[in-house]
Amino acid sequence: MAAYGGTILTSTSRILDLIRRFLASQQAGLVLVIFFLGLILSLFAGTHPDRATGAPINNFLNSHTLIQTATDASFFAIMAVGATVVIISGGIDLSVGSIYALAGVAMAMSLRGLGAMDSVPTIGLGFLVCLGVGLLCGVLNGVMVVGLGVHPFIITLGTMWILRGIAFVMSKAESILVPPALTGLAKASLGLTESLYPVPMLTMLLVAAAGAAYLTHTVMGRHVFAVGGNAEASRFSGLRLGRIQIGVFVISGALAGLAAFLGASFYGSASCGDATGYELYVIASAVVGGASLLGGKGSAISAMLGALLIVLIRQSIRTLRFDQNYEWIIIGCAIIVAVVLDQGNARLATRRLARQAARA
Amino acid sequence: MRMGILGNRIGATVSLAALVSACSGSPQPAPQQSAAATAVPARPFKIAMIAKSSTNPVFLAARTGAEAAARELSKKHGVPVEIAWLTPPMEDGQVQAQRVAQAVNEGASAILLSCSDAGKLNGAIDDAVGRGVPVMTFDSDAPDSKRFAFYGVDDVKTGEAVMVELAQQMNGKGKIAILAGNQNAPNLRKRVLGVKQEATKSPGIKIVDTFFHIETPQDAAAEVVRVQNAYPEIQGWAMIGGWPLFTPTLLKDLDPKKVKIVAVDGLPPMLPYVDKGLAPVLLAQPVYLWGHVSVNKIFEKVHLKQDVPVLIPMELVKVTKENLGKWARQLKEWQFTDVQEEYLKLP
Repeated sequence: MAAYGGTILTSTSRILDLIRRFLASQQAGLVLVIFFLGLILSLFAGTHPDRATGAPINNFLNSHTLIQTATDASFFAIMAVGATVVIISGGIDLSVGSIYALAGVAMAMSLRGLGAMDSVPTIGLGFLVCLGVGLLCGVLNGVMVVGLGVHPFIITLGTMWILRGIAFVMSKAESILVPPALTGLAKASLGLTESLYPVPMLTMLLVAAAGAAYLTHTVMGRHVFAVGGNAEASRFSGLRLGRIQIGVFVISGALAGLAAFLGASFYGSASCGDATGYELYVIASAVVGGASLLGGKGSAISAMLGALLIVLIRQSIRTLRFDQNYEWIIIGCAIIVAVVLDQGNARLATRRLARQAARA
Repeated sequence: MRMGILGNRIGATVSLAALVSACSGSPQPAPQQSAAATAVPARPFKIAMIAKSSTNPVFLAARTGAEAAARELSKKHGVPVEIAWLTPPMEDGQVQAQRVAQAVNEGASAILLSCSDAGKLNGAIDDAVGRGVPVMTFDSDAPDSKRFAFYGVDDVKTGEAVMVELAQQMNGKGKIAILAGNQNAPNLRKRVLGVKQEATKSPGIKIVDTFFHIETPQDAAAEVVRVQNAYPEIQGWAMIGGWPLFTPTLLKDLDPKKVKIVAVDGLPPMLPYVDKGLAPVLLAQPVYLWGHVSVNKIFEKVHLKQDVPVLIPMELVKVTKENLGKWARQLKEWQFTDVQEEYLKLP
C-alpha cells in the first residue's frame, strides 16, 4: 500500500516537474498565447452545417481550418527559422522574400523549359533548383557582408531589390505554372481525407526541429550564439567569424529556397511578385519568437510559434468577423507588446542575477 | 525569475487577447436581413467576397454593390443573404488562395473572387469547387479553373477602346505614352496589348513607351510627371487604369492645351479632369455592378438553380463633359460619398 502510494507520489511529482519545466521554457508564453487565442476562436467562431451530413461544424476547431492555419504559417515559419539563425548571429536578412520569388521563378522556368518529364525527376529537379538558387543567394549575401565589411542590413536591402529584379527580368512578370507533379506532392493528403494537405505543416515542423537541433546541439550552432552574443570575444576565442557569418546566410537562403519550392508547388505557380513584403512577416515571426535583434538570443521553435501566432491573429480577425481594416494595427501592436515584454523579462533577469550575486 | 518570466508571458497572453478585441472595435455589422428573412428560419446564404485589395476604392464600391444586392435578394426571396468580406489589404495571390480555403472551411455557400494571380488561384478554386462550394470571378478571371462564371470587361477590347478615343482626341497624330500599373497583373497586360494593337491602325500615332508603377495615386502621378519631364514631346496618355487621376496633382502639372488623357475608370476624384478638359474621355467601369451583378448571378446559379452564362460581359461607360452630371449622380446613387456637389448639379 505504502509502495503504491509512493509510486503515485513519484508520478505526480514527475508530472509537476514536467509542467514546471514547460512553464519555465522559452516557448511557454507563446504556447499559452496560441492556446488562449485558439480557445477564444473555438468559443466564438460559430458553426456551420456540414455539407454532407448537416451536423454543426465549429468554424475554427475543425481539421480543415487547423491544417489550413498551419499551412498558411508554414511558408513564413520555414523562412523565419533561417532568419532566426541570422538574427542570433547579430545580422539580419531582408532578402528572403526576393530569394523566395527568384527560386520559385527559376524552378518554374527550368521545368517549363525542359518540357514534360516523369514525376520523380520533375520533383527532384524542382527541389534542387529551388534549393540551389537559395543557397547561391545565401552565399552571395554572406560573401558580400564579410568581404565588403558592410552591415547585413544594407547588403540584404540591396540584394532584396536585385534578386527580385532578376526574377522580374527572367519571367517578364509572367505567372508561370508549375507541373502538376509538384502540386501533387505539396498537396498530398498522406492518408488523411482528400482535401486535407498536411505536407507544408509537416515540413515546417521538421525544419523547426532541425533548426532547434542545429542551434542547441551542435558546435556550429553554439558558435552562432557566441558570435551574436559577443563578436570580439568570439574572435579572440579563435572562432572564424567570416565563415560563421557566411554560413548563417547560406542557411537562411536555403530555407527561403525550400519555402519557395513548397509555396510554388502548393499554389501551382511562381511569379516575380511572390512573397513581396514577406521579409517583414518573417523577421516579425523571429522577433515575436523572442529573437533579439542585438544578437545572441533566439530559438527556432519559438520562431515557428511566432509565425503561427501572427497567422492566427490574422485568422482571428476574419473568423470572429471583426473589421479587417484593423489587421495591420493589431499585428503591429502584437509585435511591440511581445518585444517590450521580452525586454522586460531580460531586465528583470539581470536585476535578479545582480541581487543574487550581491547576496552571495 | 522563472515565475517572473511566466508572469510576463501570461501578461502577454492577456495583452494580445485584449488587443484583438480592443483594436478590432465593434464587430462588422451583422449581415443585413429583411423582415421577411427573419420570419423564415432559412439557412443563411453566405457569399465570401475576395477582391484584390481592400485599399483600392474600386473594390470598396464593388462591396457596396454586393451588400446592396444581398439586401435586395434577402427581401425578395426570404433567405438571409450575407456577404463575408475576405479581401486582403494588399494584392497577393497567395493570400487570396488562403482566403478561398478559409471561406470553404467556414461554410461559405459560394465565393466571389477577383484574381490577383490566376496561376496561384486555379488550384484553390478547383479545391473549393471539389468541396461543393461554387466560385464566380469578377474583374480579373481565372479561365483555366472550375469557376462557373466571370463578370467583367474584355480587357483587350478595353485597351483598344482607350486607344480609339485617344486617337480621336489627338486627330490621329502625335506621340503618346501608356500608363500601365502593376506589371504582374494579367488583365492590365491585356489592356496594354489592346492599346498597342489599336495604335497600329493610326499611322500618325507613335508610342514612346509603356510605363509601369506601384498602383497608388501618388506613385502613379509621380511617374507621369517624371515621364512627361523626360519626354516633353508626349501629347497623349493612354491610361489603362485611372490611378494618377485619383489625386488632383496632374491638374497643375499638365496643360490641357498640350496633353490629352484617356483613362479607364470614372471615380469621383477623376471628374475634375473631365471638367477641365485634361481627360476629355473616361471609360468608366461600373465597379458597383461588379458586386451587384455578381451576387445576383451567384444567387441565380446556386440558390435558384438557374443557368448562368459563363462569360458575362460588362459594358464600359463613356464619361465626357456632356454626361458628367448624370454620371456623378449615378456614383452618388451607388453610395460614393466623395462626389463633388458642383457635378451633381450639372444637367
